[in-house]
Amino acid sequence: MNMKGMTKFVEPVRIIAVVLIALAIGFVITALVSKEPVQAYTALLTGPLPRLSFENGFEIKNINRFGNWLEESTTLILLGLAVSIVFRARQFSLGAEGQMLLGALMTAVIALKLSLPFPAHMLLALAAAMIIGFLWGLIPGLLKAYLSVDEIVSTLMLNVIALQLFDLLLFNWLRDPAAGFVGTVPFPTSAVLPLLIPGTRVSFMTILMLIAVVVVWFLMARTPFGFELKMLGANRKFAEYGGINTKRVIALSMAVSGILAGLAGAHLSMGLLKRLTINLSPGLGFEGIVVALLARNDPRWVLLAGLFYGYLRTGAQIMERSSDVTREVVLIIQAIIILLITAERLFPFVQQWVQLRRSREEVVVEAG
Amino acid sequence: MSLEVVLQSIFSAAFIATVIRVATPLILPAMGGLLSDLGGVINIALEGIMLAAAFTGVIVSGFAPQWFPGAPAWSYPWLGALAGVLVGMAMGWLIAFFHLELKTDIILTGLAMNILASGATVFLMFSFTGDKGSTSTLASARLPSLQIPFVNNVPVLGTLLNGENGTGYNIMSYLAFALVAVIWIFLYRTPAGAHLRATGEMPDAAQSVGIDIRRVRYQALVASGFCAALGGLYLSMGYLSIFQANMTAGRGFIALAVIFLGNRNPIGALIAALIFGTASALGTRLGTMAIPPQFVEMIPPAVTIAALIIYNIRRRARINAAARRFQEQTAP
Amino acid sequence: MAALVEMKQITKVYPNGVVANKGVDFSVEQGEIHALVGENGAGKSTLMKILYGLEAPTHGEIWLRGRRVEIPNPHRAIELGIGMVHQNFMLVPSFTIAENIVLGSEPRKGRFIDRAQAIAVTEELSKTYGLQVDPTARIEATPVGMRQRVEILKTLYRGADLLILDEPTAVLTPQETDELFMAIRTLVNQGKTVIFITHKLVEVKEISDRVTVMRHGEVTGRVATRDVTEADIARMMVGRAVFLQIDKPPVQRGRVVAEVRNLGYVAETGRPVLRNVNFSVHAGEILGVAGVEGNGQTELVEVMTGLRPATTGEILVDGKPVQRQSPRRIRLSGVAHIPEDRLTNGVALDATIAENLVVDRYNRPPFTQRGVLSPQVIRKHAETLMQQFDIRAAGPDALMRSLSGGNMQKVIVAREFSAEPVLLIAAQPTRGVDIGATEFVHTQLVTKRNEGKAVLLVSADLAEVMSLADRIAVMYKGEIVAILDNGPELTEEEIGLYMLGVRRQEVVTKAA
Repeated sequence: MNMKGMTKFVEPVRIIAVVLIALAIGFVITALVSKEPVQAYTALLTGPLPRLSFENGFEIKNINRFGNWLEESTTLILLGLAVSIVFRARQFSLGAEGQMLLGALMTAVIALKLSLPFPAHMLLALAAAMIIGFLWGLIPGLLKAYLSVDEIVSTLMLNVIALQLFDLLLFNWLRDPAAGFVGTVPFPTSAVLPLLIPGTRVSFMTILMLIAVVVVWFLMARTPFGFELKMLGANRKFAEYGGINTKRVIALSMAVSGILAGLAGAHLSMGLLKRLTINLSPGLGFEGIVVALLARNDPRWVLLAGLFYGYLRTGAQIMERSSDVTREVVLIIQAIIILLITAERLFPFVQQWVQLRRSREEVVVEAG
Repeated sequence: MSLEVVLQSIFSAAFIATVIRVATPLILPAMGGLLSDLGGVINIALEGIMLAAAFTGVIVSGFAPQWFPGAPAWSYPWLGALAGVLVGMAMGWLIAFFHLELKTDIILTGLAMNILASGATVFLMFSFTGDKGSTSTLASARLPSLQIPFVNNVPVLGTLLNGENGTGYNIMSYLAFALVAVIWIFLYRTPAGAHLRATGEMPDAAQSVGIDIRRVRYQALVASGFCAALGGLYLSMGYLSIFQANMTAGRGFIALAVIFLGNRNPIGALIAALIFGTASALGTRLGTMAIPPQFVEMIPPAVTIAALIIYNIRRRARINAAARRFQEQTAP
Repeated sequence: MAALVEMKQITKVYPNGVVANKGVDFSVEQGEIHALVGENGAGKSTLMKILYGLEAPTHGEIWLRGRRVEIPNPHRAIELGIGMVHQNFMLVPSFTIAENIVLGSEPRKGRFIDRAQAIAVTEELSKTYGLQVDPTARIEATPVGMRQRVEILKTLYRGADLLILDEPTAVLTPQETDELFMAIRTLVNQGKTVIFITHKLVEVKEISDRVTVMRHGEVTGRVATRDVTEADIARMMVGRAVFLQIDKPPVQRGRVVAEVRNLGYVAETGRPVLRNVNFSVHAGEILGVAGVEGNGQTELVEVMTGLRPATTGEILVDGKPVQRQSPRRIRLSGVAHIPEDRLTNGVALDATIAENLVVDRYNRPPFTQRGVLSPQVIRKHAETLMQQFDIRAAGPDALMRSLSGGNMQKVIVAREFSAEPVLLIAAQPTRGVDIGATEFVHTQLVTKRNEGKAVLLVSADLAEVMSLADRIAVMYKGEIVAILDNGPELTEEEIGLYMLGVRRQEVVTKAA
């Protein structure tokens, strides 16, 4: 087999191995704290599947669980796409969290402060989320491209600012004083995403998400901009030398990424909650990272990785309801996946370690 | 309220006491982040380490009566603090191991640690206390405050040195200020400090004179875990006496900003942390006067970004000035 | 005299298969100045890295003062009294000179650094060996010559008896070089031994007692310096007549293709790097740029190709000004560029060959049509070029990383030549590539010239410039100090005088 064939074969195996190891470690941890670890893990791994029942004729049970899976995955895939764009260009933008929050915030502003007929209202809200995501991504992009401001620091700071903006508008302008919690009134139906599968919250956004996967794939693989992204990521100096305007690409990569994060925010508010609440979903913006890493920044694999990770998250919620283990176990699994998947030297290291052990044993044998 | 009252409240001794309390959980992790940053290994897991240590401290001190039946009651907070610090150092070591041995990206490793901490703390909190929000059902210990004797009767000085209610500041606040001095001396006056700075600034140079940069980086990350853990312990065993899910609320990230704003030296970072603390304390005060506290909370991150922008604009201006001088010289 | 160091049958094979040293025997006697010479890539640096413990030899032994030693790391080398001054300085910019000298083995007062002692030691060493430095100055604020003295003092502070100097004059002015030579003589008088790595023959004659010559990883000569001439050493270095035999029809100079007027450039550090540079390149000629490296050649090329902004002056291509324009605009005006350091900006290692071959043209038809990129066309294009330029690889989709140095350079040449430029700028086009690829590149350059293109060839290899160029511009300290017609009567010595700043043409003509 030639080199390329080898890597093509090795990469998926490595990723699957990493996932299995992480799940196994997760199980060990579960077993340590739970009285019923097998039951809990079964719920985690099979919970989201709908059950077919033939008791009273043909019937699909637990459609809502299946729905939860798709809803989770929709958000995660959008975030995964957002992260894969910046990672492909080797920009360490961690701004998806803030872009997502502002995306959700803008939908609330449009939904509650304007009244328009159905498709227009919804589309305007979606557009607003995409635009604010674009702009909030453009800021660190421009700062990095033209002023060499480190994007890690600037995006983390912009996340803090976005969260404060979110709270500011929510508390002082959008809040429903009659509600028993900090949140807005429900959005008017004209600004809610139309439902796709009855009995779930799977909405029009899932279709938009599929379109987004295709668009991002096309953007990366079939447009000059995608080529520029890849070259920037492979070697910035080379890209510059070849005539690519790297500053423009840096700024745009973060901005375009923001569009998708903004959409993810819109999904939370217009699709799932149908209102805005405080503590929308802290840390969710960082979950796109694990999806992008599992997918090696390839949009087609983002779809798969997002479905997988969404499955795990949904399973975790079911596990929490049906056992004594909390859903946060998936965060532990996620952290392990990130650690192992970025460990370039993981397998060589294990090899080396085994060799070392073996040689030590030999020494012991010789000495004895 | 009038402006006068606002100003009065800001320049009061009580306000300064608040600033110190708010700044303590920034100074401690910032010192840790500074050590690893100067060693050339940025630690963005300060947040996660704080969280994990805060949790560990509460759990261990809360369960100490059961787990260490022989131990005297006064030792409970210290057992908790010790466990928290060990957890912090272990996390620092793990980052070093993954980054230095397995060649992971240090940013992603740090992120993974943050995720791990936010997941594991809630996960374990539930299995220990049956609650996912906070440990309010657990009677955990508080680290002691130190009261400076005899000054409480002196009007301003008493409040300044011992806080509004005269009980003194938490021991971690004293530790924070002491740590700034210790780290300054370490960095600029000891061989190990020089080796650390050389490792970060010019690894090849350090290596060429026989400095084991891998070991230095291990130590820097473990030390940063130690300092960040102190910050976390202060939150759950000093500032409050319970653990709440995600109670660090981004302080680990603000601490990173504090390092950059402080020009990567301990005194600068201390000043930056105090400025951030002031902004935060101000936010709470102004919040009672119809000025939304969120406005003030935006100041630290906005200042950080502005500082980075100004730094780069000035650098650019220097380059342009040199170019202009050259043009003038060579003009015919 | 007894041999201080003996390296026996040293062989070094790198993991990527490159053989840097093949059965090298090398010995240095106590108290001598020993020159180790050879062209770039001859294996002299590798040999010295092995001696200093930076690389492990694949085979071979090292003997020091009559005893066999293992040198697994620089720490051990230092213990054995071996010190090395690297080509790129190993100094911490924000530290003072004294702090740099004592770094790693600081004098202590209790748990603290004894700073007074560090300064005192520095001053004392400085006096003993006649190497003047200011102990309290920060490295970032000191000139290059002083930094080098600091490096030497660093090794002396650590008790080095044997000093390895890796191309120490590459970055020095002639005056600084003289000072360095004086210091080296003082060191030897005080009982030290010096290994001096260089590829400058003048220096070999001037400073060394004995010389070892390397070529392609092997030793080709080991002689007492006074017994040989520079030409003898050159023959051992090159292994063939210094001048390459390249068939070149007489020059047919056409119109002026590129013109550079009063070009100046100030680096980001504020240091002026180029001053008042004037020259022009005509169609059908190769203009060679010669000079000791670091005299502004790199910056000249990068300014001309848009990678750095010109501070003053004009660059005209076909009469149109292109200074301060983007690399893309400059490429569109017909400039192609073979970069000096191919790994930095010539290739993207993690991209495929096909992608590397279109980095300057992916956005134009036929590669992009109506905004859509065609991977098939890009692949086809790569297949054609790979055949035409004899690029050996698994296929167009192979990663650049998997190619040998010579094949990488062929990818670059294929891309830049197929861009059909009017002006081709080639910087160090044969550095670090094998003989076959070198000859290939040389033939291609001459072909372009014969086709009536303008070629600007920048090379640190004087033999290459003299074999290929029709005219030679010599750079010294950021200026063009001479533009000479290349012919049988032009000698290496004469160019050398300009390169070293000894001589300069009074009027460097503006558009000769």
